[in-house]
Amino acid sequence: MRKLLLAGVLVAALAPAALAATRSDPGVDANSILIGGTAPLSGEASAGAGVARGAEAYFKWVNAHGGVNGRKIDYRYLDDGYDPSRTVQATRQLVQQDKVFAIFNTLGTANNLAIRSFLNQSKVPQLFSASGATTLGRDFGQYPYTIGYIPSYAAEGKIYGQYVVKTRPKAKIAVLYQDDDYGNDLVAGLRKGLGGRARQIVAKAGYDPTATDVASQVAQLKGSKADTFMIFAFGKFSLQAFFAMNKLGWRPKITIVNAVASASGLMALPPAKSTDGAVSIVFTKDPANPAWAKDKGLKLFQTVMRRYYADGVKSGYAAAGASSAYTMVDALKKAGKDPTRASLVNAATHLSERGNPFLLPGIVVKTTPRDRFPVSQLRLQRWHKGHWNIFGKLLVAKP
Amino acid sequence: MTQFLQQVVSGLASGGIFASLALALVLIYRATRVINFAQGEMATVSTFVAWSLVHHGMPFWGAFFLTLALSFLGGVALERVVIRPVESAPVLTIVIVTLGLAILLNGFTSVEWGSDVKKFPSPFPTRPIHAGGVAFSIQDLGVIAVSIALVLALGAFFRFTKLGLALRAAALNPEASRLVGVRVSWMLALGWGLAAVLGAVSGMMIAPVVFLDPNMMQTVLLYALAAAILGGMDSPVGAVVGGLALGVILNLTGAYVSFIGGTLRLPVALAVILLVLVVRPSGLFGRAAVRKV
Amino acid sequence: MARRAFGLLGFLVVAAIVALAPRWVSDFRAFQLATVGIYFIAIVGLNVLTGYSGQISLGHGAFMAIGGYTTAILMANHGVRDLWTIPIAALVAGVAGFLFGIPALRLSGLYLALVTFGIAVSFPSLLKKFAGLTGGGRGLNLFGLPQQTGGGVSVKVAGHELTNNDWLYYLTWTIAGVLFVLAWLFLRGQAGRALRALRDSPVAAASAGVWPALYKTLAFGISAAFAGVAGSLLALAVAFVNPDTFPISLSITLLVGAVVAGIGSVLGRFGSYVGPLAGASLIVFLQAYASELLRWIEKGIPLHADPKAPGVPAMIFGLVVILVMLLFPAGVGGVLDALTSRLSRRSY
Repeated sequence: MRKLLLAGVLVAALAPAALAATRSDPGVDANSILIGGTAPLSGEASAGAGVARGAEAYFKWVNAHGGVNGRKIDYRYLDDGYDPSRTVQATRQLVQQDKVFAIFNTLGTANNLAIRSFLNQSKVPQLFSASGATTLGRDFGQYPYTIGYIPSYAAEGKIYGQYVVKTRPKAKIAVLYQDDDYGNDLVAGLRKGLGGRARQIVAKAGYDPTATDVASQVAQLKGSKADTFMIFAFGKFSLQAFFAMNKLGWRPKITIVNAVASASGLMALPPAKSTDGAVSIVFTKDPANPAWAKDKGLKLFQTVMRRYYADGVKSGYAAAGASSAYTMVDALKKAGKDPTRASLVNAATHLSERGNPFLLPGIVVKTTPRDRFPVSQLRLQRWHKGHWNIFGKLLVAKP
Repeated sequence: MTQFLQQVVSGLASGGIFASLALALVLIYRATRVINFAQGEMATVSTFVAWSLVHHGMPFWGAFFLTLALSFLGGVALERVVIRPVESAPVLTIVIVTLGLAILLNGFTSVEWGSDVKKFPSPFPTRPIHAGGVAFSIQDLGVIAVSIALVLALGAFFRFTKLGLALRAAALNPEASRLVGVRVSWMLALGWGLAAVLGAVSGMMIAPVVFLDPNMMQTVLLYALAAAILGGMDSPVGAVVGGLALGVILNLTGAYVSFIGGTLRLPVALAVILLVLVVRPSGLFGRAAVRKV
Repeated sequence: MARRAFGLLGFLVVAAIVALAPRWVSDFRAFQLATVGIYFIAIVGLNVLTGYSGQISLGHGAFMAIGGYTTAILMANHGVRDLWTIPIAALVAGVAGFLFGIPALRLSGLYLALVTFGIAVSFPSLLKKFAGLTGGGRGLNLFGLPQQTGGGVSVKVAGHELTNNDWLYYLTWTIAGVLFVLAWLFLRGQAGRALRALRDSPVAAASAGVWPALYKTLAFGISAAFAGVAGSLLALAVAFVNPDTFPISLSITLLVGAVVAGIGSVLGRFGSYVGPLAGASLIVFLQAYASELLRWIEKGIPLHADPKAPGVPAMIFGLVVILVMLLFPAGVGGVLDALTSRLSRRSY
């Protein structure tokens, strides 16, 4: 009797502990995991919505094939119009009202910085942010729940600097850059890559993202007699820069265009005379590049997109989204049968993912708690006759 | 010196762009005494229509003129459906309606055509021409020439045709015009139709230069407003001169005032607007429109 | 008299609902309602200008930016406690508005709309330019600063533990209530009469001894001060500012909200506070739930539109704005005023 009583007391004492052990954090139940994010579904940056939609398509594919540890991923992304204050409001809605498990793939530098303190204080993981701001990977001491994804802009700029030093050490460099964090990070990285040769930057011209066109800046840069031209611009501004080069009859020896502006769909638009020979970096398989036509990973991408996001079949944005979604699925799997926010962050900072089908062959998505730049390998590519040709070996891109 | 001339020339080229949209603004202002904040977005829609036509295999000029016709009908329809009911409402109501229209049309273009950047065929060759170290293209000249041709055509229309006179009369004195048999309300619709046509021309001139996307006209609109005010709000000639002048001002201040650089172009345009309105409210070519109480 | 009684009763009922609302809604909804309060303040301020002084401003987002940045800079760079920055923000924005009101005197209707539109469009570039002060495009973060009351977690008020969102809610609506009464006092007095006279008949008013310049610039200053408070509260609620926090669309949205509210709806009557409430709610909820709205419409009318396509929120917003203007040109406030005056007339 006494034994029985003791057992009863023990059970009673242990029961809450046992319950606590199986109870997971918000957003996870027996059948689903709810994650959230924001994307510009409206406004000037709405082309970037393709990143979220590409990720969503891949999650749907995973769900149709059994989900993650038996749970379906419910990815809820809200419109922020690329306006950070709306990102904050939407993210609060996701965390406080919809009770998401984690925030995933929020697009934009300022947008991610705006929610970082809030998410870290609420202990909500902020995973695989779609921004190349160095601080997202570097300042983990202060923001342990945050991790970026793509190579940082500073690292990208550094690669270009090293490339110039190697191929044309006496180059005189002119830089067109978007005058914000993104452009300034690239310029800073370029200086670092050039090292002692940073003085060879003979001219710099910035533009505001609200500009109508950049012809005036390009004319100014041409006047500097530079023979190497860096285009650190966004979307249509890089097109205008090529267009202006053509109009001015400027043919630099080396033209470099940063990754965000280098989508094949964009590069095909300006006159070929100005774009031919341009150099950029690459880390995802470009769905518009015929070189990947027979690649298994790209075929998977096309199948997924055809089924869930038909407009994304040729979109580099969708490929970027799908690649981070693939890594997210990996992290969720590693976070265990009953994932908690802590176990998810732990998984995301102990990644060693080989063979992400949407990234270039050979790239290993690797993180440690002190190294939070998941994609930090990339290759150079050169534009020729209407498409990109990858050259050189895998490079390490760390800021 | 070559640098300086180059900046002036490329300033004239972008000024031609501002001028063509400014013309559309001036036309609606003359015909209806309204500033149409949706003018830029209407032009974008027209340009996307032309893009679709070309994309489906229509030759450029066929698509161009078909777009003008469609834009005219679209402009008239918008006036009938959206503006007509608030025709006699206070200025504020009409301003809000045109702003609502701008937001609606901007959303519509993204939904209908997507937000990717598109290339729009240029009616003029983009081959560069070099003269004394200064480079420009036939396209730049073409844009300016089209603006000037439109001014001449508009001037003739307003001065020498009955319809043009009726249009002006309806705007300036609707009551009296009604008494002499002008159908004032339809005149306003006609004004919107014509402005839509001008906007379409402007969009199709701009798109080959800045590339086509749903937000193509958003900042151009402010520059066009500045150009229109600089020229005098109701003067087509002023709109063109104002546009060209603004393009040159923006380029020169950007290239030679390092504080302004490439990033303070919008505030410079605003400063131009303020300066003109405070110092000479009628602009370079307009009649006094600002009264003092 | 009856009208005023009706108005007072309505005000008390609305005030009671506002005070008790957080008990019935979720924590996040309280945050959303706090943002409604922020827009409410800005709209009441805009109504002072546009409704009474007849001056159109498409640039109130810029005055909100001045208020928001005043708060953010004082908190982040000078260690000032958040609550103290609110009156300073009002002062700074108010002075800016008063000064701008002087050249604005020379501009009539449309031209003033144009200039203020230009200000709103170009203000973000200026904010980016002075990055040393404003943090540039990266903005200023206020979340978790020691100057933030409650540090973003919870706040103790008179023995009650409030969540951060409930705290923001009460802070905003308390200030909104006070400012509303101040606006009412300002407008029912001599200044209000003078402004109305100036709006309706400038020449007659001037010959009757009203000094137009003084009252009009004063209206501009007060209206900008309201916007400054709204901007300050927005900075506190979001706990972050950057130039994109105050885009041109914010200015447009405010004016739309004010017009939906019913410009010039007589303060003190039912419509004068329910109107701005409706305008502010429209702004907040339409933005947040545009896709849901489209899905709901699709149940009745098969549009085959993709609710997640970029552009859908803008389309819905634009459509609603136009429809409201066509159907209720006097705004919600105007409709309510007409309704209530008919009701009170009937009962006597």
